[in-house]
Amino acid sequence: MDDFLTVIALIVSLNAVICLYRAAVGPTTQDRLLGVNIVGTKTLVVVVLITFIQAESFFLDVAMVYALLLFVVTVALSRYLEAEGWKEAG
Amino acid sequence: MAKDIVAGVLCCVGTFFFLLGTTGLLRMPDIFTRLHPSTKCDTLGACSIIIGLAVYSGWSWEMPKLVVIACFLLLSSATCGHAIGRSALRRDIGYWRRKGTEVEDGDGA
Repeated sequence: MDDFLTVIALIVSLNAVICLYRAAVGPTTQDRLLGVNIVGTKTLVVVVLITFIQAESFFLDVAMVYALLLFVVTVALSRYLEAEGWKEAG
Repeated sequence: MAKDIVAGVLCCVGTFFFLLGTTGLLRMPDIFTRLHPSTKCDTLGACSIIIGLAVYSGWSWEMPKLVVIACFLLLSSATCGHAIGRSALRRDIGYWRRKGTEVEDGDGA
């Protein structure tokens, strides 16, 4: 089962690296924010998988804090980008 | 043994939805259509893998934590998708239209 979970974690990590493409070249700032959000979710899943691969249960607390941080960062940044008078850089 | 089979099937389903989400994020033409596969990727993919691991861990201290993470992801990813979509709508980012089907009076485009 450990080998199976390792393969799943590797596939999800590869997906996260591919999603960084959208965060790097996304035409609008909201595209970049969406890409970073997806990469964060995949990192959360990899952390949860590492909990079971290494049999260390404290990684689950890390995953809970990471989920909270991801939510706060995404909502705060989208509210910030929504404000009037904000210009796209470049 | 049955526990391992259920956990393996749920993890495979979650990985499949992650692959779908990545494909949609790369291939869709504008921000509103990209939001659609990416929120599926969050809710279905991540929650399937986490619920599968909760089944795998059985009755232990890991299971309630995993269920809490899954419930929080169900709420937060929908909220994040809505916030990003509203931000894009208020910044007047145009919709994607197929070539030759532009609306004449510019409504919504």
